[in-house]
Amino acid sequence: MYKYLLQSVEGIQWFGIVTLLLFFGTFCAAIIRIMVTSKKQIDYMSNLPLED
Amino acid sequence: MSNVQQFQYDNKIVRAFGVASFVFGVVGMLVGLIIALQLIYPSLNFGPWLTFGRLRPLHTNAVIFAFVGNGIFMGVYYSLQRLLKARMWSDTLSWIHFWGWQVVILLAAITLPLGLTTSGEYSELIWPLDILITLVWVVFGVNMFGTILTRRENHLYVAIWFYIATWVTVAVLHIVRSLEIPVTLTQSYPIFSGVQEALVQWWYGHNAVAFFLTTPYLGMMYYFLPKAANRPVFSYKLSIIHFWALIFIYIWAGPHHLLYSTLPDWVQSLGTVFSIMLIAPSWGGMLNGLLTLRGAWDRVRQDPVLKFMVVAVTAYGMATFEGPMLSIKSVNAISHFTDWTIAHVHVGALGWNGFLTFGALYWLWPRLYKTQLYSVKLANMHFWLGTLGIIIYAVPLYWAGWTQALMWKEFTPEGTLAWGNFLDTVTQIVPMYAMRAVGGTLFFVGVLLGVYNLIKTAGQGSFVANEAAEAPAREAHHTSSGEHWHRWVEIRPMQMLLWSTIMISVGGIVQIIPMVFVDSQVPKISTVKPYTPLELTGRDIYIREGCVGCHSQMIRPFRSETERYGEYSKSGEYIYDRPFLWGSKRTGPDLWREGGKYPDSWHFNHMIEPTSMSPGSIMPAYPHLADNQLDLTGLPGKIEALKTLGTPYSRDFEKYAIQNAQEQALKVAKNLADQGVKDSGLENKEIVALIAYLQRLGTDIKATK
Repeated sequence: MYKYLLQSVEGIQWFGIVTLLLFFGTFCAAIIRIMVTSKKQIDYMSNLPLED
Repeated sequence: MSNVQQFQYDNKIVRAFGVASFVFGVVGMLVGLIIALQLIYPSLNFGPWLTFGRLRPLHTNAVIFAFVGNGIFMGVYYSLQRLLKARMWSDTLSWIHFWGWQVVILLAAITLPLGLTTSGEYSELIWPLDILITLVWVVFGVNMFGTILTRRENHLYVAIWFYIATWVTVAVLHIVRSLEIPVTLTQSYPIFSGVQEALVQWWYGHNAVAFFLTTPYLGMMYYFLPKAANRPVFSYKLSIIHFWALIFIYIWAGPHHLLYSTLPDWVQSLGTVFSIMLIAPSWGGMLNGLLTLRGAWDRVRQDPVLKFMVVAVTAYGMATFEGPMLSIKSVNAISHFTDWTIAHVHVGALGWNGFLTFGALYWLWPRLYKTQLYSVKLANMHFWLGTLGIIIYAVPLYWAGWTQALMWKEFTPEGTLAWGNFLDTVTQIVPMYAMRAVGGTLFFVGVLLGVYNLIKTAGQGSFVANEAAEAPAREAHHTSSGEHWHRWVEIRPMQMLLWSTIMISVGGIVQIIPMVFVDSQVPKISTVKPYTPLELTGRDIYIREGCVGCHSQMIRPFRSETERYGEYSKSGEYIYDRPFLWGSKRTGPDLWREGGKYPDSWHFNHMIEPTSMSPGSIMPAYPHLADNQLDLTGLPGKIEALKTLGTPYSRDFEKYAIQNAQEQALKVAKNLADQGVKDSGLENKEIVALIAYLQRLGTDIKATK
């Protein structure tokens, strides 16, 4: 695509920062999630394929 | 108290996809065997439809989309129903999905040998097929989400997250990669060009690996491996963590296909870094799979299903270590364009995808037919043939890759190339191609044993088309204040879909948007001009014949390459290349500075019979190019489409395009006659267009204003 909108780009540092926060946030949320989930719940989920 | 409901799982659709997977596995691998043999015996290139350049995309599309694709659907339709305790939401959609997918495959099998291709790897299919694929994929998604939303089991097992992420990411990848302007019913030009298209292609291509060859199979692993081992997965917690990490990180890895190309450094570096980070979530999956079998290894010894699955998961681990290693620039400087890449692909494809498919099929088929597997002995034989086949496939190609790379790079003490004739580096590795063909044959024979075994299994059993099941209706789940948010996500599939979409979009947005919208990312070169109409026609012939399968058009900034090919490639040289033709493999030399190296007659003779100019060449012969009438009628449409996309042809140029091409064709024909080519009337044959294109390659930067 040949339609350049910008000659050069300034100030896209926020791309990287938002990306990092997004990933880090999701990762942390996932870790917190698994830490607070009860063993009973984990065992229940793990056994779902074996139920039928 | 909730009521227990009676319902039935649909096994017919599972069987249909399973049969299709196996049939197309045989077909796709047979084509693979043929093209492997063509590299050893070039006389097997039965042109024009069955040359290597046209068959290779048929092989890749067949094994990826027909073999693995149908395998995915078999696995998803079986496991999804049982994990959700619900029949597929719509039987009608199931069958539209099935037949729609097979129709796409059939059309691919017809169009690709005809040379109707976009040339993008794993996205070769022409635009009407792209639309058909989209429709079928939507049908699949509606059916899958319909089932999820009307499920009886509240909680979404991890395999289902992988299926959801697969669905949405493949949709995004396919749509963005297919952004193109149709010129005719069978041809289009991509909206991106040059380095931008290269980035989009490999963002797509690597994520086709990630979200078509990996995530759905990880989902299948998380279902079928516990089933086969009859024990739960090692760590459910690990599966949650590696899922999110995998889908986020994988997307960024695309640029590792473009290292040392003209892609800006920052994008290349992102590709490398994220590829290395990817080891963690990938190995999380591998370890989860292998450790599920801890304490049960004696069962692996007895059960062929488990054997296949263990090797599959191990191959996944090997490939996901090798891949990141190949993404390191210093390693890539050796491996790129060589057979090492092919070896890497096949460890993953034969080992991970192939073996997990076989393991699942051997587990499924007796259950679908309520019987035992016909022959455990044959299944074990298949396993050993397959394993041996993978090793004999990969090891010779590692050897070939290193040999060729080192020969390319070797200098004499005087400072000249030791192997100045590219062909020497090819003839050196043909014996390794022969060994690879042996490996592939072994793998293929194993597959045939499997087909026989499953047919006999079906014969001795009785098919259960609809499997009775019962489960209580789903209770509406109320989020109490004590619950954590991932549980909220997990039991609300739409939020899962949304968050997965956000996670997979980030990498593409960050890498692609600056490349597309920021002018300074592609430094312009003032002497670079659009292709002439005749050159454009020749370029489209180059694409049709699949030349990009063996010839690259990207000279890397190494002294060994500038000595061999000329000045290294610059980004600005490719801005009018639609589609880009950088290539991934050098079975033949790079062609980026081919223009002006040889007289027109050399190209004529070389095309008609390559060994006449290059004794020992394994290139297919293209005599039909001197017989086929040159068809210039499509030119006005092509010029108009390119102008729409920004190529600066002058006003009304489409009106003069045909005449312009005819004039240039006469010049080329005259050159050929002057240089001793006896054939007459060549100005009306396709070959002059191809020669014109080849002679233009890379010459613009030498032009004066």
